[in-house]
Amino acid sequence: MWLGTQPVNLLMSLRKSQVGDWFLWLLRRRSRLRVVGRSMMPTLQPGEEVFIDHQIYRHTLPQVGEIVIAWHPHQPGLKVIKRVAVVNSDGCCVLLGDNHQESTDSRRWGAIAPNHILGRVVCRC
Amino acid sequence: MLKLIFSAVRHYFPADPVSAHCDGPCGVYDPASARVAAEAVLSMTKKILDLSPPAGGNSVAMAAYENTMSRYVAIKEEQAQKAKEELLILWTDYFKPTHLEQYPQMHDTFWKAAKLCSACKVEVNLQHANELMQAIESIHQMFWATKSRDVAWYTAS
Repeated sequence: MWLGTQPVNLLMSLRKSQVGDWFLWLLRRRSRLRVVGRSMMPTLQPGEEVFIDHQIYRHTLPQVGEIVIAWHPHQPGLKVIKRVAVVNSDGCCVLLGDNHQESTDSRRWGAIAPNHILGRVVCRC
Repeated sequence: MLKLIFSAVRHYFPADPVSAHCDGPCGVYDPASARVAAEAVLSMTKKILDLSPPAGGNSVAMAAYENTMSRYVAIKEEQAQKAKEELLILWTDYFKPTHLEQYPQMHDTFWKAAKLCSACKVEVNLQHANELMQAIESIHQMFWATKSRDVAWYTAS
């Protein structure tokens, strides 16, 4: 199965954090979030922590295959973590969980507006 | 050294949650699924210990024995892994910090139960299989107490 121009198994990999990531976190250039729920399995297990870059999408659009943090479109204040499956010409993103059988995502919500996407997952903590 | 520092940071500065969201099963939890898997582990452990190789040089009987043993081992390992996953879901998704105040031993109970799942997966150890059932019974009591419901512990077998 191919997603965009890269095979899914390549996109699934997410590197481990390095000292630099923690340094950026200390400088508040990264935030840490803990995954709750199973929709990103097997890439991310419940309880795993990830580093987020909140500035990356200020000047660029998300790319297919990236894991992003977004506001849930119907539950105010709830942040969700999903993978970008499609980027439409207007910048809206189709977000899907890696665990398709246990994920509520753009298949139900539709595409997510770019201003609802909060940042990109950089690596595991 | 750095790993220890990072581990301490994670402990003392817990990260905010982000939802790997699923509307379907969210909010539906029951330790029964872990209990059923653990019962299968216990049952397979007993069957493995009770299974004897055939006497003599009967190759057909030996093939049947090895086939049966392989199936028992495969099911034991699969169900031990399943029990562990079900416990981790309860631990990380259902239980909240307020529950920890009520049950300070909660983390230790789950950690030991998950360790027992791993032990049962790699070993053929009746004691560990029984201890896993006892650990899940403790979790059952904690879980239903948090819901203020009196659900008696039971087993299917």
